[in-house]
Amino acid sequence: MNAERDPRRGQVRLPAFADSAAAERQAPEAGGPALAGRSARARRSGLRRVRRMSNWTAAALIVGTGATTAALAHHAVSVAAPAAAASSSSAGVVTTTGTQGANGPRVSHSVATTSASGVTTTTTSTSQVVNGKTVISQVRHAPAYHDN
Amino acid sequence: MLPPTTTTDGLTALPAPGAASPWRRISTGDDTVAVAERAALGTTARLAVWPPESLGAARGAVDSVLSALDRQASRFREDSEIAWIHRGGGGRFMLSNGLAEAVSVALEAARWTGGLVDPTVGDALISLGYDRDFAAIDPERGRPAGAPVPAPGWQTVRLDGPVLTLPAGVRLDLGATAKGLGSDRAARAVMNAAGQAGGVLVSLGGDIAVAGQSPRDGWPILVADRPEDQASSLTQHVRLAGGAVATSSITCRQWRRAGQVLHHIVDPRTGLPADGPWQTVSVAAATCADANAAATAAVVAGQRAEQWLAVAGQPARLVARDGRVRCVGGWPDADGGRIKVSPASQVYRGSRPGVLR
Repeated sequence: MNAERDPRRGQVRLPAFADSAAAERQAPEAGGPALAGRSARARRSGLRRVRRMSNWTAAALIVGTGATTAALAHHAVSVAAPAAAASSSSAGVVTTTGTQGANGPRVSHSVATTSASGVTTTTTSTSQVVNGKTVISQVRHAPAYHDN
Repeated sequence: MLPPTTTTDGLTALPAPGAASPWRRISTGDDTVAVAERAALGTTARLAVWPPESLGAARGAVDSVLSALDRQASRFREDSEIAWIHRGGGGRFMLSNGLAEAVSVALEAARWTGGLVDPTVGDALISLGYDRDFAAIDPERGRPAGAPVPAPGWQTVRLDGPVLTLPAGVRLDLGATAKGLGSDRAARAVMNAAGQAGGVLVSLGGDIAVAGQSPRDGWPILVADRPEDQASSLTQHVRLAGGAVATSSITCRQWRRAGQVLHHIVDPRTGLPADGPWQTVSVAAATCADANAAATAAVVAGQRAEQWLAVAGQPARLVARDGRVRCVGGWPDADGGRIKVSPASQVYRGSRPGVLR
């Protein structure tokens, strides 16, 4: 993969690398051209190996970061959801959630009926002394409101 | 708190302000949840919670919500906030946060339903004879109802934050959304009281909201025309794991004027009781206020109900006057089926259910 990339494009060479490259071109090594060629190949090969390793390291870091993010996000949802009775979406429209209780109790009988609203009436009695006499008043009522 | 209805010796007596009917425990056959109910808002409030030990705190939370809602939005209480606004005869009013939310939800429901539900039907209901708490209405009266009063229209009402601008002569009735709003608020309040542990179901007159973690496979709920109906071929069992389900029906809250049977679901366009083919509509939605509004809108919409529900994307069960049943929008056909609701609310714009009380 590294061989296909131009190492000079978009990269800043370390001064030592530039210097050594210039030295390859301008100053023959003491051991002659053959030795100089071998050492240059070895240097290039070493550099390629180092660059390849750093790329693998970067890829591993990216993958690791992604996996960690996903794990944290999943953990956050699973913890927060049971507590959330309502939350707001980005559009400002309220969304209400209840969560199905994986850990909730088993309930087999209906606990409520959705239907027309029944009318509830109750009767209260109050007593009052009027002109020395106790008068009992009965009031038939229901706590005020109605349905629609 | 309540209008006097029947007295002896001409004395009037009001129940003590804030007096709430006592809760009574209900045995459903499962001891893994605690269920209790009491009279509230002219109907019945029911509460189911798990773990059962949280029932005490849950009852307190529901009491607090219902008491506040009654003080804010009851048009039958002389001392309610909305009664005070109506006595003002129009103008600009600074509302409490709770009533502002209730009016906001009612206006959003009207916008969403294209005016099929409309909070400006107050005078229409009064003209028909629904001018006091339903328990106090004389069910049989020879005198005919008043002339129908079409709703002035929700567009005549303006709400800017907590500031309400109400034209003179416009009387609000929040009945199409307030009970659902109450269930939403109560369910949320119970979860707050329980530290978000366990789960809760709150029903106000059959309008049900659930919150927290549901039982396995969801909360078991009976769908029926009337609250006293027992399981039969006309009823259905469903399971609700999240969101809400509400029912509107013309089978209850009926009265007669000069031989004419009237009921409480008014068509805002005519000011008359809705006269469509559906007698009962149950809708599941993200919140109970949504479900409440959609169910009432479907009854009013009549022949167009199925089309409207399809556009709105809400699962619904419609029962025709002849007993025919239609399930639309993913409402389960089978007994015991689970209802899946859309996660987005249409009526809580810019607010969160239960935050404003």
